[in-house]
Amino acid sequence: MYLSDAEQRMLDGHEGVPRAQAMAVLARLGDACGADRMVPIASAHLVASSYQIAGEAGIAIYEKLVAQGAKVAVRTTSDPGSIDFARWQAFRTPPDYAARQVVISKLLDQMGVIPTWTCTPYTTFNVPRFGEHLGWSESSAVVFANSVVGARTNRLAAYVDVCAALAGRVPCFGLHTDAGRAGDVLFELAPDLTSAFADHYFPPLGYLVGQAVKDKVPVITGVPGATFDQLKALGAAAAASGSVALYHLVGITPEAPTVEAAFRGKSPRERIRVGLAEISATMAQMGGGDGPVDAVGIGCPHASIDQMRRYAAALQGKRVHSNVQLWVCTNTTVEQMARTMGYAQTIEQAGGKLMVGTCHNDCPLAAWRFRRLATDSGKFAYYTPTTVGTECLYASTDACLAAAVTGKVER
Amino acid sequence: MRTVPQRLEGHGCAPGEFEGEVVVSRQPFGFWQGLDPQTGLVIDKRHDACGQSLVGKAFVFPYGRGSTGTPGIFLEAVRNGCAPGAIINVSSEPMIIMCAILAETFLQVRIPVVDGLPEGTPAFRTGDRIRVNGSTGVIELLARHDQGRSA
Repeated sequence: MYLSDAEQRMLDGHEGVPRAQAMAVLARLGDACGADRMVPIASAHLVASSYQIAGEAGIAIYEKLVAQGAKVAVRTTSDPGSIDFARWQAFRTPPDYAARQVVISKLLDQMGVIPTWTCTPYTTFNVPRFGEHLGWSESSAVVFANSVVGARTNRLAAYVDVCAALAGRVPCFGLHTDAGRAGDVLFELAPDLTSAFADHYFPPLGYLVGQAVKDKVPVITGVPGATFDQLKALGAAAAASGSVALYHLVGITPEAPTVEAAFRGKSPRERIRVGLAEISATMAQMGGGDGPVDAVGIGCPHASIDQMRRYAAALQGKRVHSNVQLWVCTNTTVEQMARTMGYAQTIEQAGGKLMVGTCHNDCPLAAWRFRRLATDSGKFAYYTPTTVGTECLYASTDACLAAAVTGKVER
Repeated sequence: MRTVPQRLEGHGCAPGEFEGEVVVSRQPFGFWQGLDPQTGLVIDKRHDACGQSLVGKAFVFPYGRGSTGTPGIFLEAVRNGCAPGAIINVSSEPMIIMCAILAETFLQVRIPVVDGLPEGTPAFRTGDRIRVNGSTGVIELLARHDQGRSA
């Protein structure tokens, strides 16, 4: 692939070993994927910031990079870590495990990474703009940035995101190109679904679409409207059950004013009709059980201030059941605002916990021996059976909050 | 009985040379939540290679199921000496190729990756000995583990 003079100088080591290594990795990725050149990026977001993902290898790599003077070249933020930095004891994290996450934190600080510890950097200190190129890796954030904002990023791998941050560039292929952003498969919601579309249908719709298209670009018609948090939930589910990095919601997302625009002149390779029956079947697959639960996990992706308000309103004057751990996952920015506004106190007075800067998927939770977890998240529904080792019950946000109080999911 | 090809030509995705045993899976594989990087054992209970050790083996599977955290687990396994010695796919997604490139760049360990194998090929069975060249994409069958065993 073509490298500019500046990029070649970087590759040749004129800007130090870390940038040379970074450029070498990015050039090989570009060659493997048919990129013709690099594009400058506005920001990076790192998934190998959690000890669970980075491990000792990550610490060794970061130590070496820091010793060689590595500094990020663009605005760079961190994904959730593997601990709640302020309250890891309350989540029964082993002290030696927590200490290793703190080591990673200090190394990232030295490289100039902004410690957001969130999967929703786009709500805090890493807000992408339409058409900007990015080097992001967190799958739920990638799909949000591409689909809802119209920024451009592939799903980078752990450490490739670090290379992008150090070089300030990524190879130009896939979702960085106009052709790569064209729709592949058309999903048409049936009238029975469109007319009854509800908040808790967004995650199963994403889950269904992700399973059907894997890494292709879905175009969806018939969704009557969507809030910021609903778009976040839809994308996170599609990125977990498949590898969806971009979806188009016709009439809602910026590159899909019409079906034709979303396909950029191509014809759909496949049309799939989705009705209430398909959504119900998907919800059953995500976790259709009812009855007692010992954990309720919400805030995946990390809860916004709007969601905190909603949780607080539902829990006002209530008491979380003694058999249930209700954990609300979010980041420090939202936590601080929720505390200022009193929502955090309401949730805590009810017996819920704020789990900040991490989540059920990133934090070691074996000590809790959870058996049945209720969630309103498609991503949690996909991963927690493995990460937490629980049976998962998918339910609406309101049903999850009710289950936290009564100790059981009622259908 | 089916004649077994002694030599296959795939597409070399990441350089390196390997000679040793094969573990063959018919299912897509995700390293994150699929491999224990401390032991090199497959831990995904839904996977057909569950319980098998990949340490120093050529791991044959159709394609990767890629969480973006994949290289995190993969490099941790490499550092612990618990990674596969080679990867052979029907189609190697960028996430798998990146694992090899990152291991070479940051840990100075070469793990050849070859793809382009026909889907569902019974060319190798778990326990066979093969030689892999990640640059040329050539895979040679050196010895059958057990002729009578079904794949």
